[in-house]
Amino acid sequence: MVTTALPQSARQRPRFRLVLATGAAAASLVTAGAVVPEAQAQPQARAAAADNGRQVLTVAVSQSIDSLSPFLAQRLVSTSIHRLAYDYLTNYDPEDGHTVPGLATEWKPSADKLTWTYAIRDDSKWSDGKQATAEDAAWTFNKMMTDPNAATASGSFTANFKKVTAPDPETLVIELKEPQATMTALDVPIVPKHVWEKVGDFSKFNNDKQFPIVGNGPFVVTDFKVDQYVKLAPNKAFWRGAPKFDELVFKYYKDGDAAVAALRKGEVSFVQGLTPAQAEALKSAENIKVNDAPGRRFFALATNPGAQSKDGKKFGNGHKALLDPAVRKALFHAIDRKTIVDKVFQGHAVEGEGYIPPRFESYFWKPDASRKIAYDPAKAAQILGGAGYKKNGNGKRLGKDGKPLDFRILCHATDPNDKAIGKYLQEWWGELGIGLKVECLDNVSDPWLKGDYDLAFDGWSVNPDPDFVLSIHTCAALPATPKDTGATDNFICDKQFDGLYAQQAAEYDPAKRADLVKQMQSRLYDTGYMNVLAYPNAVEAYRTDQIKSITTMPEAAGNIYGQDGYWSWWSAEPAAADDGSDSGSSMGVAIGAGAAVVLAAALGLFVVMRRRSTAEDRE
Amino acid sequence: MSTTSTTGTTAVARAPEARAASGGNVHAYLLHVAGRLGGAAVSLLAVLVTSFFLFRIIPGDPVKAMTHGMPTSAEQMATLRRQFGLDKPMWQQFTDYCANALTGDFGMSYQFHAPVGDLIAQKVPATLLLTGVAVVIYSAIGLWLGTRSAWRHGSLGDRLNTGMALTLWSVPGFWLGLLLIITFSVGFGPLPGMFPTGGMESGNETGFAYVIDVAHHMVLPVLTLVAVGYAQTLLVMRSSLLDEMGSDYLTTARAKGLRDDVVRRRHAVPNALLPTVTMVFINLGHVAAGSILVETVFSWPGLGGLFYQALSVPDLPLVQGLFVVFAGAMIVMNLLADLLYPLLDPRVGR
Amino acid sequence: MTTTPTPPTKQVTPGTGPATGPVRTARSLAWERRRHSMARFWSSYRTHRAGLFGLAALALIALTALTAPLLVGSDVQSVTAAPGTAMEKPSGEFPLGTDQFGRSLLGLLVWGARISLTVGLLAAALSVAIGTLVGIIAGHYGGWFSTVLMRITDWFLVMPTLVLAIVLATVMSRNIWTVVIAIGVTSWPTTARLVRAQTIAVESRPYIERAKALGGGHTHIMNRHVLPNVMPLVLAQTTLGISSAILTEATLAFLGLGDPTVVSWGGMLQDAREAGAVSSGHWSYLAPPGIAIALVALAFTLCGRAIESVLNPKLGVAR
Repeated sequence: MVTTALPQSARQRPRFRLVLATGAAAASLVTAGAVVPEAQAQPQARAAAADNGRQVLTVAVSQSIDSLSPFLAQRLVSTSIHRLAYDYLTNYDPEDGHTVPGLATEWKPSADKLTWTYAIRDDSKWSDGKQATAEDAAWTFNKMMTDPNAATASGSFTANFKKVTAPDPETLVIELKEPQATMTALDVPIVPKHVWEKVGDFSKFNNDKQFPIVGNGPFVVTDFKVDQYVKLAPNKAFWRGAPKFDELVFKYYKDGDAAVAALRKGEVSFVQGLTPAQAEALKSAENIKVNDAPGRRFFALATNPGAQSKDGKKFGNGHKALLDPAVRKALFHAIDRKTIVDKVFQGHAVEGEGYIPPRFESYFWKPDASRKIAYDPAKAAQILGGAGYKKNGNGKRLGKDGKPLDFRILCHATDPNDKAIGKYLQEWWGELGIGLKVECLDNVSDPWLKGDYDLAFDGWSVNPDPDFVLSIHTCAALPATPKDTGATDNFICDKQFDGLYAQQAAEYDPAKRADLVKQMQSRLYDTGYMNVLAYPNAVEAYRTDQIKSITTMPEAAGNIYGQDGYWSWWSAEPAAADDGSDSGSSMGVAIGAGAAVVLAAALGLFVVMRRRSTAEDRE
Repeated sequence: MSTTSTTGTTAVARAPEARAASGGNVHAYLLHVAGRLGGAAVSLLAVLVTSFFLFRIIPGDPVKAMTHGMPTSAEQMATLRRQFGLDKPMWQQFTDYCANALTGDFGMSYQFHAPVGDLIAQKVPATLLLTGVAVVIYSAIGLWLGTRSAWRHGSLGDRLNTGMALTLWSVPGFWLGLLLIITFSVGFGPLPGMFPTGGMESGNETGFAYVIDVAHHMVLPVLTLVAVGYAQTLLVMRSSLLDEMGSDYLTTARAKGLRDDVVRRRHAVPNALLPTVTMVFINLGHVAAGSILVETVFSWPGLGGLFYQALSVPDLPLVQGLFVVFAGAMIVMNLLADLLYPLLDPRVGR
Repeated sequence: MTTTPTPPTKQVTPGTGPATGPVRTARSLAWERRRHSMARFWSSYRTHRAGLFGLAALALIALTALTAPLLVGSDVQSVTAAPGTAMEKPSGEFPLGTDQFGRSLLGLLVWGARISLTVGLLAAALSVAIGTLVGIIAGHYGGWFSTVLMRITDWFLVMPTLVLAIVLATVMSRNIWTVVIAIGVTSWPTTARLVRAQTIAVESRPYIERAKALGGGHTHIMNRHVLPNVMPLVLAQTTLGISSAILTEATLAFLGLGDPTVVSWGGMLQDAREAGAVSSGHWSYLAPPGIAIALVALAFTLCGRAIESVLNPKLGVAR
């Protein structure tokens, strides 16, 4: 019948047009996916291979750059890049961390310990061809001393400086107000005076408008896109020797798992901060080496010792029961550090002992067996009972005021380890009859600085020079008044500790200083306001088909990312060229095939849909 | 009207008002325009003011938060405070903020040491590109499938169509994104990884290769947004077309002997398009804010990621600026929808 | 086909209840009437297959959540008593494998239903309660008061909901109440608008005039006449609201803004991502919570749509 046939065929037409239109949209997406991999597979898979002669080392980072100005940058990723782009006065040996020459070749203190003289090397040139001199160093320090806006990032280094001069291009003289043991550990990038003296407002200058950025480190920053990448080229004239890769790229991945996936595919050469599951999975992956190195961090529990300021005013609402050493000791006795290492870190950590991680051998201290607060829940219960904290009918431990003991612990919402250990603590302390509320926040600073916490997860990355991590437990670090902020970590103020601190700060003999540092740790352990649970490892992985060799720090079983120095990226050697091209081409084929499968599936889907709709038409 | 509630938008709920306000002639339309413009201006002002106070309730001293864990002297803190203008009393901060905001200046970001306007401007193209493309694609797909569904309502195809859309709509977008990464980026079984795992470009392409490169990076995020987004358009289109199909004029048109598809194309679809088009605009307004999740999963360098970073400090000027941009986008798009409605509505004789 | 603009109210319109017995109190009359309308509602709902499917799925999930203590035991959350080792692949003992603490993922999935459903229900209830209150008051009083209320509603409407919720969740401490409040106070405006329109429609009817003439005060009219008439709409809104509340809960948990000490589906996804399940290909960790969220959200949506179309047949949602 004509009348029914007409509408039917008519009905077909518009739908077909729509199929075409949407098909075109879908096809453009599919083509983008299908065509590009073939064009791209090569450079991607051969990121490090000798494709048109360029060998690129790509490092995945998860932090976004806060500033490229050495006077403003505070995040690890930014300071790591400054390590590469600028030479510092001194550097640390990759093998054992002792001080080695940087921009300065020699240094010595005066007899009264108040004047330091540095000899500046004559073979370091800025990347624009000008000679780097003592004048640049003196200008950098003087700027930080005179312009508060230039002291944002590392003003603490120059706080004790009286005068900095450059009597000649190869001599730098620093006069101090007080003796300072950290003078061979001044982690301050020296900037070229002729470039930076033109800068007006240091608080607003981010050093990210003109590329390449003039520097004298092993690499030169050539390009930067916010939250995307930083690119560096090797400084061929670097005095210690030029880096081997043709380009170094720090690529930003917001999501750690995405970075790992990128490593598997060869999009990046190096990933750090792996979770145990990621490390486990990567161990069996081809061409990938997992580097599990002793870390430089400690992971500790801090208890509020009753927050106070220098003027003696108490503030905050820390739990009173925690002022009783018996309670703190019992709590620490009830923590199974081995389980934490085995379960939470899954072996990628070392059980906590003293304050400074064992990686820094010369300063490492641990309690002897008699003083060690080991895992012993029975003893914990006994200590509590003995100190007058009895359990009530419901199994809740009662405080001296007759109320059940319930503590809060501050946890960083962004740190999975905090949350995980919090779960364990809840259960272990629950056995003792003590309640624990895990308060996870994005921004823990606020309650912390107000003293509004009972316990907190605490952790610091320790430098080769331990001065800073020790200074944060001195009375001098307390805030001036409750309204101010101090450098203090946990409001600890102990006269004995302070005395030892003052001694080590002025001790220029390394062995004697190390001994004093150990005594300080011993004292800190005994006061019991801090208890180190573990030293987490640095878990990293890199592609062996892109990186042939790379220096870790310490050289035997050390880490790669966030070193004190530029050793890893400076020393990295590209893998042989033909390794990469093989996997590259096979990868390309595989990808092409995959794209074809997708296309076929999409086509099949269209056919099915069309058939279905035709069937409907027939109904 | 209730499909609106299903899909959580107000487009249709607003429609009758707009229609009523549009009256029947140019004069009435101009009045309508003036009214809407005024309303939008008031809303924008309200957003500006709220943005200031809303974020002042975030507890925390940004200077302390930023310097926590860093050796910082009291003088350094005072300097920072002065730089940020936090040393002034609240009312003065507010008046400064208002005066500057009206000229488009939202101050300096605490953590990036750069003007907020510049930071936002840097990120806007990425977000617009990603979500703009996604909205266009899913609107097109939604319209098409919605029309098909309505025209054959009750059929198996309709049921499958609506069922599929509702299912995808119920799926958490970030989760779908993760699955897509596992399947198509990491590679699953015989599938090799075909798409990049994140970011917007590889960073070493120029010219046409750059365009292709960006397109390649966009495939998975766009796919995610389209999958969870098209249901809304589909459902609104379907139900408004069903409404139209019950109308007398369609029966009249058919009775006149017009072919089915002509009736559909010339009469029903244009009328039914109205609420859907309005909704597309509302969706465009959501674009800026809606991308937070997908940008997080795919490391897309857009506004969503910036907002999240800003909030955790808290980087007040940046948070304020972004909030104004997010809410502003909604207001402007709502305004456009309101203004367009009477122009598009064929029932309004002009 | 009905063409009245306000159909959702017809089954509870006063005076339709047939008086079957000779002696009837007003209360029993009302009961009778309600039973009747319920029966009619159900017989109509029964014809919606998708709605029935949603209802069945919901009943199943709710049953699982309620009996979770019996099914898996509250020990399932314990990290110290975890039975397995970290990140095991699925096996006979652990059908979905284990998480990074060695806990059974199937057990956690079942347990997580409790939090996800609770948060979804509470948040939707809060949101609809605020919306209904604002809507009825704005619709009943009218005048400048209503204008102001509706301006506020409009203002909330243009606020980016997720952004506001994120801000609130960041500011307050991490627990499920925070999430409930963050979702509840940001998602009410749609309900408020719908309820207001409905209220105006109801109040234009003659019997409201009569009630007013008989001396019924504002409270009486709102409680006795308006509220029962907007209840069906509110019910549909709640059902649909739960589905988006559950999705928002998952989203917030995924962004790390949930309560880390309880197990919820969104929280499980966040844990999975933090543990690195995506790159190491732990499908059994990543897929089930997402499917569960989608399933519950879909079930509530289907129910909501079915209710809507029963109340308003003109919609043709499931025709």
